[in-house]
Amino acid sequence: MKAFIYILVALVTLSTLFRQFSAERIDSEFDKQGFSELPVQVGGRIKPLDSVARNTLLILSGKQTVIAPDGSKLSAIEWFIDLCMRPEIADTYRVFKIEFPDELGLEGLAEKSKRYFSFNDLQPYFSELQTVYQNIETEPQKRSAYERQIAEIYDGLILYNNTLQSLHPTGNSERLDRLIDEYQSFETLIVTGLKAIREQQAGQEYDTEALNSFIGYADSYLKLSQTARLRIIPPDQNNQAEFLSDWKNIGLELLDAIKGNPLSPSVKQYAQLTMAYRSDDPETFNQGITTLKASFKQHYPKAYSRAQFERWFNGFKPFALSIQLYIFAFILLLISWLKWSIPLNRSAFWIIFITFLIHTFGLLARMYIQGRPPVTNLYSSAVFVGWGAVFLGIVIERFYKNGIGGAMASLIGFATLIIAHHLAMTGDTLEMMRAVLDSNFWLATHVVIITLGYSAMFLAGALAIAFIFMGIFSKKFSKEDARSLANMVYGITCFAALFSLVGTILGGIWADQSWGRFWGWDPKENGALMIVIMGAIVLHARWGGICKDRGIMNLAICGNIITAWSWFGTNLLGVGLHSYGFTDSGFFSMLLFIISQLWVIGMSFLPWSYWRSAYGRNQLSKSR
Amino acid sequence: MQALLKFFSSLRLTVVLLALSLVLIFFGTLDQVEFGIWETQKRYFESFLVVWSYPLQAPAGTSLQWLKIPLPGGYLLGGFLLVNLLAAHATRFKLTWKKSGLFCIHLGLILLLISELLTDIVSEESQIAIDEGGKNNYSETVLENELVFIDRSQNDFDTVHTISTNLLKKGKRIAIPDSSLSVRALRYYPNSKIARAPEDSRGAPLNRTIANKGIVERMDLQVVEQAMDYSQEAINTATAYIEVFDANDTSIGIWLVSNVIDDRFPKQTIETDSESLEVALRFKRYYHPFTVELIDFTHEKYPGTDIPFNFSSEVFVNDLDQNIKQKALIYMNHPLRYGGLTFYQASFANEDKTSILQVVRNPGWLLPYISVLLMGLGMSFQFGMHFIKFSRKAKH
Repeated sequence: MKAFIYILVALVTLSTLFRQFSAERIDSEFDKQGFSELPVQVGGRIKPLDSVARNTLLILSGKQTVIAPDGSKLSAIEWFIDLCMRPEIADTYRVFKIEFPDELGLEGLAEKSKRYFSFNDLQPYFSELQTVYQNIETEPQKRSAYERQIAEIYDGLILYNNTLQSLHPTGNSERLDRLIDEYQSFETLIVTGLKAIREQQAGQEYDTEALNSFIGYADSYLKLSQTARLRIIPPDQNNQAEFLSDWKNIGLELLDAIKGNPLSPSVKQYAQLTMAYRSDDPETFNQGITTLKASFKQHYPKAYSRAQFERWFNGFKPFALSIQLYIFAFILLLISWLKWSIPLNRSAFWIIFITFLIHTFGLLARMYIQGRPPVTNLYSSAVFVGWGAVFLGIVIERFYKNGIGGAMASLIGFATLIIAHHLAMTGDTLEMMRAVLDSNFWLATHVVIITLGYSAMFLAGALAIAFIFMGIFSKKFSKEDARSLANMVYGITCFAALFSLVGTILGGIWADQSWGRFWGWDPKENGALMIVIMGAIVLHARWGGICKDRGIMNLAICGNIITAWSWFGTNLLGVGLHSYGFTDSGFFSMLLFIISQLWVIGMSFLPWSYWRSAYGRNQLSKSR
Repeated sequence: MQALLKFFSSLRLTVVLLALSLVLIFFGTLDQVEFGIWETQKRYFESFLVVWSYPLQAPAGTSLQWLKIPLPGGYLLGGFLLVNLLAAHATRFKLTWKKSGLFCIHLGLILLLISELLTDIVSEESQIAIDEGGKNNYSETVLENELVFIDRSQNDFDTVHTISTNLLKKGKRIAIPDSSLSVRALRYYPNSKIARAPEDSRGAPLNRTIANKGIVERMDLQVVEQAMDYSQEAINTATAYIEVFDANDTSIGIWLVSNVIDDRFPKQTIETDSESLEVALRFKRYYHPFTVELIDFTHEKYPGTDIPFNFSSEVFVNDLDQNIKQKALIYMNHPLRYGGLTFYQASFANEDKTSILQVVRNPGWLLPYISVLLMGLGMSFQFGMHFIKFSRKAKH
């Protein structure tokens, strides 16, 4: 039986791993994978087109894949290729997610589809949208839910349009099919066109045709330089530092040709790709990719290898994999308390351990890509809180080996990664740091330590919830089990108090270094202080014997509420300055979480006679 | 007496005080939405008692407006915590090796509470704005105002007499030092709106000011009182009507002064036979015995974005007394400490041509560092000991 369980668990784990690795194969004669590795500069950093495609699609539709009208599933990069190279087709893909289309007041829109709309679906409403958009509240924080939705659609359309124009000018399909000709005629026109302008200004006779077509091009490229979103043209190789130098977007590069700068070869190479793709010529397409890749590899080896790694990382999705494995381990541990306790317990521990390694790898990979300590924004804090909790859980599990620490750790790992997944909807999670936060030393010390404090508080709180549930429902839960669980909560709370205090104080020192005040009572600081105080309350209540086990457990659960408030609540305040952000979905999730915690606390006040565990019966006889 | 000492040294009191602090901080965070950081800090943490009321803007605000919660303020809780801690150490604790960590933590905490109190009382914050190539010897704070009388009769220096606006509010008569004059505030508005007085159908101004000297002789102005604006970036327009009396207690006129009637307007002066004083209401200034000269301000952004990557100010500090000229580069996380003051890069203006530095005087700035050290050491020691004991037990 034992062996059978081990084999079964191993098989499920392996198949999960295998499914993850084989999930994103692009079957195409075109080297789309090679295309997705090409580096571009956007949002102040260099990243592969793959990341651009994924993040753009996430912002528009909340997903990383598109279902084409014919029912086939496209990956983000395939969508992106169609968007840039075959916009007439991409315009029919339903990529705009509108949560409540019937509340927009746009007649007939709601009937078109359920929640996902294509560019063509929205086109009839452009002028109406524009008028509405111009009349809504300008300060994003004060917008109503309706205004926010309007702004989201409007911004989405702009993003779509600007992304579409990233690789070359757009227009009708005829123009796209003749891009190389266009560039060539533009290059030859520069000399004659400029000459014509000079002659015109001097009042001499001039070549009208040359002048008009030259101005036509220049005008179109000027517009392009303002809208094209991605910076695809790297600076000259002999240009100083890689990091802060400006890449150019396609429009700027074309305009600079007027000044006499030779066009970068990439311009024509990208045009070649589009023409090859449109004329269904994989050979030329793949050759173009090889040339572009080789040139990046030669001139920007570092940026290119990072971009290549990032693309691979995007496809690997370590956190999505961890989500599945954590929940699997959690379920195994739940079953282990009913039956087959030893084999399930052991295999769950090893699954948690392996998942922890994958989770750690994900963190390290992000650190490598970004060149920063692990926590730089809310998204990465969610990833890190889970990591810290799982780490502590594994440590407790080594000592107690009863599965409770592991179960709660995997539950927190699962929950925080789900939260991170939702936070990723806003786009690039590897965004650049604002100047004030640009300090690797403080990011690595203050932020990391305080986030570990969150991990510990949540783990203590989760263990306390386990205590209440097992005390009420599990007949096997004995007095000794209760004592060891209470000790776990105590130990983890000590850890939480230490880390929160040290982290908070380090934050104070950082504030003293950057703003000249150690403490400013700002919401985030206050939140951190509340965690420290909560930890202090738990510890003092225990030392003073003021609360018995049940009381300490309830305090630890309160710790969950306080930590959630400190982590997210204070951000909600910032978002909804004046409006309190009450309409935010974040607020409702927060409220739900708080209610759930209060519900557990309420349950713990059930009279001892309702507690089915040995521990409960023991308490009952004591109280009589 | 014994019972009292027992009460004050009990752990139960500690827990209650900590719980109340938790509640205070929570409401003190919520109220920042309405009153901003500065005002909330004063109301909640630098006070003995505070009443929280349900905010009007929150859901069901109008029907829950009656909901008010009185809370002990920061000074009260901090004071009690301090007493509690001292009493506990006086009665319950004995200094042993085992408890030395706890002693460290508590000592650090005492130091932290004291340093926070000290900061509240003695620290001063202001901002100094310098143009590239220019210099400045004073900093100012827009959170406070002062009424100034400037005597420019000397050739090589001016004499400035300042009166805090706190005194203006009471409407008392105040003698101006080194002169025979005295002044009284007729009205004082912490925030107001000054505009040209509207005209009636015949073109005569309505709602004229009660002032009769100075700027009002040239412009028809009216002053409308406004509620204080506590939001983060807001600057309140403090305005006052002041009546000036001569040595014989005869009124020589009423002037309208305000922090928006600044250098852009002609100077307002009080003229008598024997003296001439300039008068103004302005943001509170701190003069320094040195000038700060801005050589260059740089503002770098990440390529292709508006996300700031770095701000920095290259400055010269010229000490007037000691003839010291010192060069420094002030940038994020790297302030300049000079003459008991600390200069931080705070902001910029004027298309990156003007740098704004935060100037902070906080004589107790070192205390938190010491207390941190004590608490960190204490905790590491205490919990480290727990952990070693625990892991030994677990092995057996």
